[in-house]
Amino acid sequence: MDLELEKTIEARAAVLRTIKEDLITRLNLAYEPDDLHEDISLLGSGLGLDSLDALEVILGIEHSFGVKIADDNIGILRSINTIADYVMAEKGKNEEVQS
Amino acid sequence: MRVSPIRKLLADRGAVFGERAGVEIPLRFSGADKEYSAVRDAAGLCDFSFMTRCRVPEDGLDVLEQYACGSVANIRFGRVLHTMAVNDDGMLESDVYIANDDENLIMLCESLIDDEAATAVLEGMGASKEGLEDMSESTAVFGLDGLNAWAIARDLFGTDVLGLPYLSIENYELDDVEIKLIRGGKTSEFGYLFIVPVRQAAAIWERIEKAGEPHGLVPVGTEAHSMLRLDGRFFNIYEEGARVSDPLPLGLQWMIDFDGDDFRGKAAILERRTKGLENKIIGVTPSDPGGVLEIGDEIAHRGETVAKVVAATYSPTLKKRIGLALFELPYAYSGLTLEGVDGLLIETISMPPFMPRSLGVKLDEM
Repeated sequence: MDLELEKTIEARAAVLRTIKEDLITRLNLAYEPDDLHEDISLLGSGLGLDSLDALEVILGIEHSFGVKIADDNIGILRSINTIADYVMAEKGKNEEVQS
Repeated sequence: MRVSPIRKLLADRGAVFGERAGVEIPLRFSGADKEYSAVRDAAGLCDFSFMTRCRVPEDGLDVLEQYACGSVANIRFGRVLHTMAVNDDGMLESDVYIANDDENLIMLCESLIDDEAATAVLEGMGASKEGLEDMSESTAVFGLDGLNAWAIARDLFGTDVLGLPYLSIENYELDDVEIKLIRGGKTSEFGYLFIVPVRQAAAIWERIEKAGEPHGLVPVGTEAHSMLRLDGRFFNIYEEGARVSDPLPLGLQWMIDFDGDDFRGKAAILERRTKGLENKIIGVTPSDPGGVLEIGDEIAHRGETVAKVVAATYSPTLKKRIGLALFELPYAYSGLTLEGVDGLLIETISMPPFMPRSLGVKLDEM
């Protein structure tokens, strides 16, 4: 595996790990992090989160990554992977501003 | 081969039929692309009578607990569990809905095995003794899915139906016919399953069609449903399920109650879970929107194969091909660009790849 790809994967893996651990803790899920596929649906099918659960997840993301999620941006909760996309994009924006 | 109780009606609508696990299925009517778009933009009605289905008295739930991987005993009244059944080796056999309907549990299965094999498995678990009743010949099952499906259900049953949560069951009467209505679906749009007595099945289908006319309802087949499931990232046992077979790389752990009672195949699944994953499926698409992506295509990094495509379709919503590939674990991440066939670049993507419009509809404000 080339270095650039390895770095990309490492960065994403770290974000995914944090999201999964946060989900398991906050929602008291009876799963290990490896049991949660990154594309698992969070709303409706899959984990089947209700609106209160969704709020808990949003609070967790905001706390863990220091990003803000607007009330009308529920679409990012489609899956763990879509949350990770949002977090990485927001972190990227912040890094651009700081540099 | 088992055929639909409304086969003649479907044929009159132009259905082209196929076969799956010994059961005839309606593949398409006007064409899969058109039917796909009807569901995303309006509504589609599909005959799901190919599903095997049975009823078990509440006190006979032992048989379903042995059969299904999920926590059957914890299904609350009026709710539906989405789970699966596996064989002795812990490999996929059926995608299962189990509904707690008053004094009965109703099970609907999309299976890789035929009716006879499924019956043999259940009989081996004492199904007859527990009062299991096969409903596959006495009922029909219709799936109503789409952005406007809620409005059709409302016009048929009244506004109460809008309060049905996802994965729940309720009994309704329609033209004096008792219908079991499940709010479910695997398209990421609104979805309802109608379980209807076989004698009135054709009349109820036509009644739904009539109610759906002002809402753009069209008959749809299983090919459109396969497309809808893939770009909505709903598990499809007949595509990636049939090709991968092991539920763990498919990411179906959420369907399994690891800590509950034993079920068929549990030991094998637990053994593989303890050993750890070696592969995982991830969404893929060609970098070039006009690029090809077919089942069986290999995906490589620096010339070494790291994945193989196990499901693929054209997505009219994304206007390009999309698929799922079984990746070696170190490469199983979205956001990568890898090598496909003939020098084509393949991107791994997060799924579901778009926000379904139904998710933006607030039924409680209707």
